[in-house]
Amino acid sequence: MKYVKYVDVTRAMFPDQPPYQWTENVSAPWTPIVKPLTESRVALISSGGVYRRDQPPFKPDKNDLTFREIPADTDVRELRISHDYYDHSDAERDVNCVFPIERMRELAAEGFIGGLSEAHFTFMGRIFRKTGLLNEMIPGLIARLKALGVDLAFLVPA
Amino acid sequence: MGLIARAIEEAGIPTISLSSAYDLTALVKPPRSFFVNYPLGHTAGRPFDRENQTAILRNALGCAGEITEPGAIVELQLIWDDPSWQAGV
Repeated sequence: MKYVKYVDVTRAMFPDQPPYQWTENVSAPWTPIVKPLTESRVALISSGGVYRRDQPPFKPDKNDLTFREIPADTDVRELRISHDYYDHSDAERDVNCVFPIERMRELAAEGFIGGLSEAHFTFMGRIFRKTGLLNEMIPGLIARLKALGVDLAFLVPA
Repeated sequence: MGLIARAIEEAGIPTISLSSAYDLTALVKPPRSFFVNYPLGHTAGRPFDRENQTAILRNALGCAGEITEPGAIVELQLIWDDPSWQAGV
């Protein structure tokens, strides 16, 4: 399999800065999937910079530690994207490329998944403040997932 | 995104991650990942291609429960229309 080496691409984009050190983990945390898919409430989480047009856009360069809640029944024509570091021309025409909410609604309607969370979550990638991410953004996000009774989180990076 | 997946999983909610950056995902190790070898901005599929988008979600959701190795990356068998796209990144 041939794939793009994004560590090298990222370093080449910013030759004047010290090379960014990606987190390197040797193991991964684990919570078994025990609930059947057909009974599971799924929440979508996207880092593509998607927001509803009546919400504040993201700071499009980097380190925006806020997230937006997108209600499950949102009309995709209400969604916009602010993110300076990936080509979102296709995602602007069809947001499902990075935030597949319409496809998830269809899978819920046909019973492939049990249902959808009342709200889904979006933020903007390019967060280099790891401590800020872990201490500021993530606890709020997890609290909302728990409050909404989410059984399974489905993450889509852009 | 991998760090967020890990934190959610640690909090007791299972996660399924898509990825279009194999090397980054292999470093950060979210619990369960499905690799979509498409240009960034298309991790959940091609625009206006409902069949393609649905197949990605259906495969990831449907296969996630079979993964037993934390940090596993499953490659979805998908080919971008223009096979030379990687040279332009």
